[in-house]
Amino acid sequence: MWIFLLSDALTFAGLLLAYAILRGGSARWIPEGAPILGLKFTAVLTFLLICSSVTMVLAFAAAVERDRKATVKFLCLTILGGLLFLCGQFKEYFGIEWLGHLVGGNIGEQIATGLTDEGLIFGKSHYATTFYLITSFHGAHVFSGCTYLTVIMIRTAMGKYDDGNYNHVEIVGLFWHFVDLIWILVFTFVYLIPK
Amino acid sequence: MSHVHINRKQYWQIFVALFVLTILEIAVVLVPGIAKALVIIALVGLAIVKATLVGLFYMHLIHEKRVLKLTVGIPMAMPGVYALVLVTEAAWRLVR
Repeated sequence: MWIFLLSDALTFAGLLLAYAILRGGSARWIPEGAPILGLKFTAVLTFLLICSSVTMVLAFAAAVERDRKATVKFLCLTILGGLLFLCGQFKEYFGIEWLGHLVGGNIGEQIATGLTDEGLIFGKSHYATTFYLITSFHGAHVFSGCTYLTVIMIRTAMGKYDDGNYNHVEIVGLFWHFVDLIWILVFTFVYLIPK
Repeated sequence: MSHVHINRKQYWQIFVALFVLTILEIAVVLVPGIAKALVIIALVGLAIVKATLVGLFYMHLIHEKRVLKLTVGIPMAMPGVYALVLVTEAAWRLVR
């Protein structure tokens, strides 16, 4: 897993370096009329991933102690964190219209509106393209992580690791923490660094 | 695989540290009047600290053998070194 994570880390490093070079070399990074990325909403998504990292490490601790019930519980919470993150990313890109209408008012309008509605279109500018490439590549990792976690959670619930072999839980944990670690860097470089 | 080191108290301490550092990051961006260069240095520094905390304590790298630490640490540092060279080169072109 470490070898895979290293190769994956270098892929992200390539994307982030390309982003830095393009951004550093452009006179005007954010084109006129393009929306500014929302900081507060993404901070909530960051918090979700941090929470899911702590539930993941607690699942690992429970697996080591051969506590099947607690392992399944914490793996489920980790998956929930990942799924909520993905929903948040979907909202950020496209907005969730039905939920926006349901909530109503200003908040509802914000929920219904995504970056694509505000004019941030893939291929229209380096700003838009690098944003969607990097964040969706990370999102694909979150999706893969949720799928992987679900498989391990089901196998745990079936008692496949009751013999004390916690390696599978540890390995899925490594992948999940890596996804969190990469998000820490993406959040800083794509969202936080001022224009 | 690592030797098992379960420390729930430490896991929660790291969680609190990550939470506080994230709030600090947002504060650095939102508080007006800080020079842009300082903001960038602070943000990159905070991100490196957060990523290191996750790697060392949640991925249990701190308990791994030295050879694995180096195998992971050196390639991970390479893009950072490359970025530093790029930034230095760009800065040099601006001031020469």
